[in-house]
Amino acid sequence: MIKKLLKIFIIIPFVLAQLSCSSKSERNPDHLIYWSSNNTQEIDFARVMVAEWNKENPQRQISFQPVPEGQSSEEIILAAVVGKTTPDIYSNMWQGDVEDYARAGVLVALDTLKGFKSFIYSRCDSSVVKEVTSPDGHIYQVPWKINPIMLMYNKRIIEQLGLSGPPETYSQFDSASEKFKDENIDSHGYVEKWFGYSEVLVTWWQRFFDFYPLYLAASGGAPLVKDNKAAFDNKYAVEVFSFLRNLYAHNYFAKERLSVRQDVFLAGVIATRFTGPWEISHADKFKPKGFKYGFTHMPVPDNHQGPVYTYCDPKNIVIFKTCPNAQLAWDFIRFMIDKKNDLMFLKMTNQIPRRKNLETDSVFAGYFKDNPKMVEFAKQAKYVKGTDPYPNLTEVFDIISQEYEACVIYGKKTPQEAIDDAAKQVNLLYLK
Amino acid sequence: MNFKNKKIVPYLLVLPYIIYFLMFVAYPVIFSVILTFNKWNIISPMQYAGLTNYIHLIHDEFFLKSLGNTLIFLAIHIPLQIIIALFLAEMLNQKIKFRGFFRAAFFLPVIVSGVVVTILWQQLYGFDTGLLNRVLTAVGIGRIGWLIDPSWAMPSIAIMATWKNVGLYIILFMVGLQTVPQNYYEAADLEGATHWQKFRSITLPMINPTIFMVVVLSTIGGFSLFIEPYIMTGGGPLNSTLSAVLYIYKQGFFYYHMGYSATLGLFFALLILGVVMIQKKFIEKEK
Repeated sequence: MIKKLLKIFIIIPFVLAQLSCSSKSERNPDHLIYWSSNNTQEIDFARVMVAEWNKENPQRQISFQPVPEGQSSEEIILAAVVGKTTPDIYSNMWQGDVEDYARAGVLVALDTLKGFKSFIYSRCDSSVVKEVTSPDGHIYQVPWKINPIMLMYNKRIIEQLGLSGPPETYSQFDSASEKFKDENIDSHGYVEKWFGYSEVLVTWWQRFFDFYPLYLAASGGAPLVKDNKAAFDNKYAVEVFSFLRNLYAHNYFAKERLSVRQDVFLAGVIATRFTGPWEISHADKFKPKGFKYGFTHMPVPDNHQGPVYTYCDPKNIVIFKTCPNAQLAWDFIRFMIDKKNDLMFLKMTNQIPRRKNLETDSVFAGYFKDNPKMVEFAKQAKYVKGTDPYPNLTEVFDIISQEYEACVIYGKKTPQEAIDDAAKQVNLLYLK
Repeated sequence: MNFKNKKIVPYLLVLPYIIYFLMFVAYPVIFSVILTFNKWNIISPMQYAGLTNYIHLIHDEFFLKSLGNTLIFLAIHIPLQIIIALFLAEMLNQKIKFRGFFRAAFFLPVIVSGVVVTILWQQLYGFDTGLLNRVLTAVGIGRIGWLIDPSWAMPSIAIMATWKNVGLYIILFMVGLQTVPQNYYEAADLEGATHWQKFRSITLPMINPTIFMVVVLSTIGGFSLFIEPYIMTGGGPLNSTLSAVLYIYKQGFFYYHMGYSATLGLFFALLILGVVMIQKKFIEKEK
């Protein structure tokens, strides 16, 4: 009995170790693994794509699974990179993470693959290609889908305030906020409704929904980081901090967290929200009877000229170096994001494919006719930016977040001081 | 089964734990110590960094701030917890009506998920929307920025943590109270001692070991403050609720500064060990 037990203790780990090693070395180069995002619509889309591809390419098969569940897909991918268990293709990579992975040498330089460059220039504007090109000159990601951040507003409230349309400039936004607050404050000074709300936590990515899109809007899409230095120490960032600071100082925006309550926008507790197209299906499903809403561009300084940019929360496709056949992986990606399949993606997920002329292309016209609210996002898609191709962006956004909290929410620093301090810290970060 | 085999049996029985210990305790600890001398962002190879992480720790104002915050939390939480738990234990040790119900009711928050409790209190603490401020206004006291005022945020978390954990310490104190011999109180009654005099001169000295145990447990628990600020405030406002553990977590899993995070963790573990050792000395001295 004891001898048997001993054998089991020794043999099982040995066998498992052997199995895990042998499975890696015997990868079939004509059978790749693809991970998609794990939201339901994207899973459905990926399933259709893989089935079609496998039907047309019986000798070059793709296996599909959604990215395993975890606190975030970013953490799962990181764990997979560490454990060398990455998929061959991954289609939900945040653009801001790509440079870190590229520098770690775990991504395939896609521009070295046959047919990549001609395809990418036919699909995307040169500005987009430039945006995703790493400082080393290579491209490690395929720009795939975006969700531009815009101002969502309650139409009835805007009408009740006597406005002809949603506020588009800082002063329009301020005066609308003031009117709205005056109507929604009780005798004890409690504000019952706010003109807007943005998450007050210092969590770095919260700035994708306030500071960063406002900064891009004010500056015409200027970078945050350039040549390994802070590029946001300019008048636009100061103006954005001043604008937001004023909203909190006058209690037009709530300082307390509202997000754990009901949907405060649909409940009429807030009149506006900085958000993306994912709100449409949610709002249409849960809105009360008679509730009307619309989207417009992010507010801009009063003297703003030219198009209004915003942040687009880009998620891109990458090929990991563990892939035994990068050319096959690229062929599959090219199939998945061709025009016909982009239309299917748009229909199934209501997310915008990152391709040029989307709004005017006749292939997509029927979709936008059926989904008029998405037209605003398609128009906006011409003027969007992702993130700059530099590493450590998480820390850059965290530094900005700390200063944002001190200046915008608590008024402990002037906008100029806060931006200067943030820029100094970011410069130090890239010096290390 | 021969004698030789019998000698091996105890080792076989402890083998599963030894494997567990080596994999999940010894290996991570040794690896963490190695990490403290390296820079590692998980995805790139480790780089030897010598004492850089330790030097950074000495100059890290955020870590000092987080330590200070943790001490503020302990300074509020521990006395508050002991006073409330002892008071309630004394009450629940009397023959009162519905004693069983009250004992269960006070213990209930201990078994409720920390996340649920935190979200519940976040609602209560709302500046404009919270129930607590509505009550304060109704009784003529002004509003308090429970979670949005940097000077109130950590005390607010300490109050919530006390509410959550006090049930456990009530049980411990009740056990301690029930070990006090009744004849001491009877003798004091004969001498005409008041309730306060009995409490001060008999109860407190007799339950001293329990008090110290509660202090030790609360200290260790308080040092590991994480869920509450992580969910409620994210460490804000203005880093006033950034606890040491939250800061270590952020360094490790937000910025992937694994070497530095391990250094902070090691330092913090030694700090807790030192505090507990000092407390242990006190306990032994009292005994």
